[in-house]
Amino acid sequence: MHVRGRAGRFLRARWRVLVRLGAWSVLEAGQTFVVGYALARALDTGFLAGNARTGLLWLGAAGLAVCAAAYGTGRVYGVVAALVEPVRDRLVRAVVARGVREADAGALSGLTQQVEIARDTLAGVVMVTRSFLFTAVGALIGLCSLAPLLLAVVVPPLLAGVALFAATLRALARRQEAFLAADEALAQELGAVVPALRDVTASGAEERVADTVGERIEAELRTARALARLGTARVAALAVGGELPAVLLLVTAPWLLRHGVTPGALVGALAYVTQSLLPALNNLVHGLGTSGSRLTVVLRRLTVRRPEGPETATPLPSASEVPSGARTTEREPGRRPQPSPALSLAGVTFAYGPAGEPVLDDFDLTLPEGGHLAVVGPSGIGKSTLTGLVAGLLTPVRGSVRSYGRPVRPPEAAAPRATVLIPQEAYVHTGTLAENLALLRDRPVPEGELLAAADAVGLTPLLEKLGGPGATVAPAELSAGERQLIALTRAYLCTAPLALLDEATCHLDPQAEARAERAFAARPGGTLIVVAHRISSARRAARILVMDGARTTCGTHAELLRASALYRDLAGAWTARPAPVPR
Amino acid sequence: MNSRHDSAASAPGRTLSRAVLRQGGARCAALCAVSTAATAAGLLLPALLGHTLDLLLAGAPVARWVGGCAGVVLLLALLDGCASVLGGVCDAQATAWLRGRLTGHVLALGPRAEARFGAGDLVARLIGNAAQAGTAPGALAALLAALAGPVGGVVALGLIDPWLAAVLLAGAPVLALLLRAFARDTSACVADYQRVQGRIAGALAEAVGGFRTIRAAGAEDRETARILAPLPELSRAGHRMWRVQGRAAARAVTVAPLLNLGVLAVAGLLLARHRLSVGEVLAASRYAVLATGVGVLVGQLAVLGRARAATGRLAEVLAEPAPGHGTGGLPPGNGRLELRAVGALRGGRTVLDAVDLTVPGGTTLAVVGRSGAGKSLLAQIAGRLADPDAGEVLLDGVRLRDLAHGELRDAVAYAFERPALPGTTIEDTIAFGRTAATPDAVRAAARRAHADDFVRRLPDGYATRTADAPRSGGESQRLGLARAFAHGGRLLILDDALSSLDTVTEHRITETLLAADAGRTRLLIAHRATTAARADRVAWLDAGRVRAVGTHRELWREAEYRAVFAGDAAADAGVGDEAGTEARS
Repeated sequence: MHVRGRAGRFLRARWRVLVRLGAWSVLEAGQTFVVGYALARALDTGFLAGNARTGLLWLGAAGLAVCAAAYGTGRVYGVVAALVEPVRDRLVRAVVARGVREADAGALSGLTQQVEIARDTLAGVVMVTRSFLFTAVGALIGLCSLAPLLLAVVVPPLLAGVALFAATLRALARRQEAFLAADEALAQELGAVVPALRDVTASGAEERVADTVGERIEAELRTARALARLGTARVAALAVGGELPAVLLLVTAPWLLRHGVTPGALVGALAYVTQSLLPALNNLVHGLGTSGSRLTVVLRRLTVRRPEGPETATPLPSASEVPSGARTTEREPGRRPQPSPALSLAGVTFAYGPAGEPVLDDFDLTLPEGGHLAVVGPSGIGKSTLTGLVAGLLTPVRGSVRSYGRPVRPPEAAAPRATVLIPQEAYVHTGTLAENLALLRDRPVPEGELLAAADAVGLTPLLEKLGGPGATVAPAELSAGERQLIALTRAYLCTAPLALLDEATCHLDPQAEARAERAFAARPGGTLIVVAHRISSARRAARILVMDGARTTCGTHAELLRASALYRDLAGAWTARPAPVPR
Repeated sequence: MNSRHDSAASAPGRTLSRAVLRQGGARCAALCAVSTAATAAGLLLPALLGHTLDLLLAGAPVARWVGGCAGVVLLLALLDGCASVLGGVCDAQATAWLRGRLTGHVLALGPRAEARFGAGDLVARLIGNAAQAGTAPGALAALLAALAGPVGGVVALGLIDPWLAAVLLAGAPVLALLLRAFARDTSACVADYQRVQGRIAGALAEAVGGFRTIRAAGAEDRETARILAPLPELSRAGHRMWRVQGRAAARAVTVAPLLNLGVLAVAGLLLARHRLSVGEVLAASRYAVLATGVGVLVGQLAVLGRARAATGRLAEVLAEPAPGHGTGGLPPGNGRLELRAVGALRGGRTVLDAVDLTVPGGTTLAVVGRSGAGKSLLAQIAGRLADPDAGEVLLDGVRLRDLAHGELRDAVAYAFERPALPGTTIEDTIAFGRTAATPDAVRAAARRAHADDFVRRLPDGYATRTADAPRSGGESQRLGLARAFAHGGRLLILDDALSSLDTVTEHRITETLLAADAGRTRLLIAHRATTAARADRVAWLDAGRVRAVGTHRELWREAEYRAVFAGDAAADAGVGDEAGTEARS
C-alpha cells in the first residue's frame, strides 16, 4: 500500500531514533525481567529459606528496577516525539499546501482535527507495539533465566494468541473504517440539515428528512454493532495468549517441579505471565485494534488527493494552442507588423463540465496595449468566467487566449505573469501592511515606491490610520472597502501589465472607485479590464463589452445605447433614482 | 448556549436518563450481570491459583483444582467476551435511540430549534453529545463491576492478612496525588500548542478565502511557505508536550509496581514466619494489582459524569415545546390571508403589536418598513414558521394552527433572502418538499425563476450535485424561488427573496410573479421601491405596527414612507450584479 511504502522510507531515514527508542525501551523492559526474577530469588533464597533479609534485598532491587524503568518511560516519550512530530509536520505541510492550492475549506478541519488524530493514534500505536515487544522479550528472558523449560509451556499459547489477534486485525480495521465512514456520513447529513431547518419546515419535508437522517443513524448503528461483535475476537486472543499460559503452568507444574524448577521459579513464572504478559497483550489488543485502524483511515484521507473540483474544465488536448486563423484580424499581410495586442481571445468556448451548456461559445475579443475595457451584463452571464479565462485560472475547451502574443499560462507555471486579477473578495492576510502589499513581488518593495502606489490608488489615509507600512493588519478588523483598497494597491505594485478588476471596487464609494481605476489606467503601458459595478465605472472605459449570451456586443457607450436593449436596461437601472413606477 | 449542566435542566435530564436506561433495559441488566460475574470470577481466580500452587508444592493430588482453574479462566473469557459485545451494542443502541428521538424533535421544532440553540451547537449535540450520552447505560451497568474489582482486591488482601491491606491502603494516597499532578502539568503546554496551531489554521482560512487572488498570481508556493512559518514553533511545543507527558507518565507508572512490591515484601515476611503459604503470596501479588486498578473506576466515573452532562444538554433540546398541528382541512379558496390582532415577542421585546391585516385572495401585498420593523417575523407568522404570542392567523377562514401539517404545507410556499438548499442534486433541491415535484414541474419552475439558464451551464446541468455547484447569492435565491414555484399552493410568501438579484433579472421575475393570478395570494417583503410599486397594495410596517395600508402611489406622498427606501437607494442604484459570491461549501 502507498502509505506503508512511505512509512518504510520514513523509518529507514530515522534509524537513529529507532535505536534510541530501543535503548530506552530496554531500560523500561528491564523492570519486567527483574521483577519476576527478583520475586523468584526472594522466595527461594530469602523468605522460603528463612532468610528474610535476602528476600527484602531482592525486592529492594526490584524496586530500583521499577524506578529505572520509570526513567526509561519518561525518555521513551521524548523519543516517540522524535518520530511523531516530524510526521505531524509533514501532514500539516501537505494539508496547508492542498488547502492553498485547491481552496479546500475541508483542509481546515483536516489541520485541526485529523492531523491531531493522526498524531495521537500514531504515538499510541508506537507506544503500545513497542511496549508489548519489549515486555514480551523481558518476560521471556526472565522465564528462560528462571528455567528454560518454562518457555516451552508459555511461548506456544502466547504466539497462538498473538497470531489470532493478527488474523482478526484486518477485519477489525475494515469494520472500524466502516464505522468511521458511517459516523462521518451522519455528521455530514446533519450538518446539511440543521442549518436548513427553516427551509425544511417551510417545504413541509420533515418526514423525508427524518427518513434520510434515520437511514444514516441506522447505518451507523449497524457498523457500530458489527464492530462490537468483533470484540469477541480480542477477548479470545487475550484468553489464549494471556490467560491460558497460567493454566498450562499449573497443569504442567508437577512435571516442572520434577525437572528442577523451584517453587520460587514457579511463582516468578506465574507473575511474569499474569502481571507482565497479560497486561501487555491486553494493551496491544485494545490499543492497536482501535488506534491502528483509525490511523490508517485518517492517514489515507490526509494524503490522498481530492478529485479535481468543478473549477477546472476538461480541456481538449492542446486545443488552446490551435490558432483559429480565420478570426485573427490583427495581422493582415502587407501591413507592417503590429505589436501583439495585450489580450486576444479567439473562438473561445468554455463550459463547466461535459454536460453543462457553454458559458462562452465561440467568443472573440481583442484589446490593444494600453486599452481600457469595461464588462457589464446580468449576473450569472459569465463575466467572472471571462476574467478567470484571461487570468489563466480556467482553461477553454476550444479556442485560444493570448496575452501579448503568448498563450496564457496555466496557473502552475512560476514565470512572471502578464495578468493580475483582483477579485471581488479582497485577500488580506494577517501580517504587516508591507507584507500584504508585496505579496505579488519577489522582493520587498522599496518604501518610496510603496508610498507612491498607496497615494495613486488612494490607500494613504488607511495606511496612516494603521500606522505605516510596518503596521500589522488584522483582516477581520478592516471594512470590506479597506480590504479592497489594500488588494488594489497590491495589484498596482505588481509588474504584470494587464490588470483585471473583477468587481474589485464594489465596496468603495464612487469617488474612491474612480481614483483607483484612473490609477490603473494611467500605469505606464497598463491595460485595464474592469467588470463594472456602476455605470460611472463603465463610462470611464473607452469600450464596453455587454455580455448577453448570444447577443453579446462590444462598443462605446453611445453605440451601445443605440444597439443593445440590455445595455439600455442596465444603464437605466443604474442611473434611475428609485421612484414610484407609474402603473 | 449554556454548557453548564444547571439545575433547571437537570429535571428533564434525569427524565431523559431514565428513558435511555429503559429503552435498553434488558441489555443493560444483562451487561451488569455479565460484567459483575466476570469481576467475581477474576477475584476468585488468584485464590484458586494460589491454593492449587500450594497443593502442587505439597505434592497433593490437584487434578480437580487445576480443572477448576481452567474452568474459571474459560468462564472469565466467555464472560469478558459477552461483556465486550454487550457494552458496545448497549452504547451504539442508546446513541442511535437518542439521535433518532432528538432528530424527530428538532425537525418538529423547525426554525425554532435553530433560533434557540444555533445550527452548529445543535449538530454538536446530535453528534458528540448523543455519543457521550449513549455511553451512560453501559457505563452505569459496568459501574458495579468496576467498583467490585478494587474493593474486592483490598478485601481479599485483608482476608489473606490484614497487614497486606494496610500497606496497600497507606500507599494509595500517594497514588492519588501523583495522578493529580499529571493532569495539572500538561494543560499549560497543550494550550501553547493549540495557540500555534490556531495561528496556522487562521492563516490558512484567510488564504482559502483569497484563493482566486493567490491562484491568479501563481503565489501558491509562497503563500504556503508563509502560512507554514510558525511550524517549527509548533514542533517545539509538540516536543515539549511529549516531554512533560513523559515525566508525568514516569511518575504514574512507578506507583502501582512499588505498591505491589510493598505488599510482596510484607507477604514475604509473613511467609518467612509461616503465617502465609507460597500460594497466598502469589494470590496477594495479584490482588494488589486488582486493588490498584482504581484507575478503571475513576475512568468509569469520568465517563458517567460526561454522559450525565451530555444527557442534560440533549434534554434541553427536548424540553423546547414543539408546535402541534390540527387535523382540519382548507375549504376551496384562493388564499385569503387574515392576521387578527397578531402580537409577537422576541427576547422580551415586542416585535409585532396588534397587527390586523387582510390580504384578499388572489392579490399581492408588499410589506415594507425599516429594518427591525418586524417584517420577517410577520412573514414567518403568516405561513406558520413561527406562532404569534397573541392573535390569530387565518387562511381562507381557517386558523393556521387548526390545519393538518400536510394541508398547511401544501397550501403555503416560501422563498427566502438566503435560502438553504437541502437536496442532493439541483433537480432534487428544486423538487424538495413534502412530496417531490415532477421533473417537468422542476424545469418549468426553474424557467419562471430565471434559473434554467445557469443551471444548464453547470457541469452536469440539473444532475449537478448542489453542494458542488458554485453559486452566487442571486443564483441561490433563484433556486429557492424555483423550489417555491415548483410546489405552488394558494399562498406564496417571499421574504426579501429577490434582494440579491441584479435589477434586470429582478424586473423580469417580478413581471411574471406579480402578474394577475386570481388563484393565488402573494405576500412579499420588499426593500426596493420598484418592487413595492408593482404590488396591488402595500402594508407599511413601523415598529411592529401597521402604519398604513394602501397602494404604493398613495403612500409615496408621505415623506416618512419615502424615507423607508432611502437607505436602499444607494444600493439600488449600484446593483449591477449579485452581491456576495458564496464560497463552495
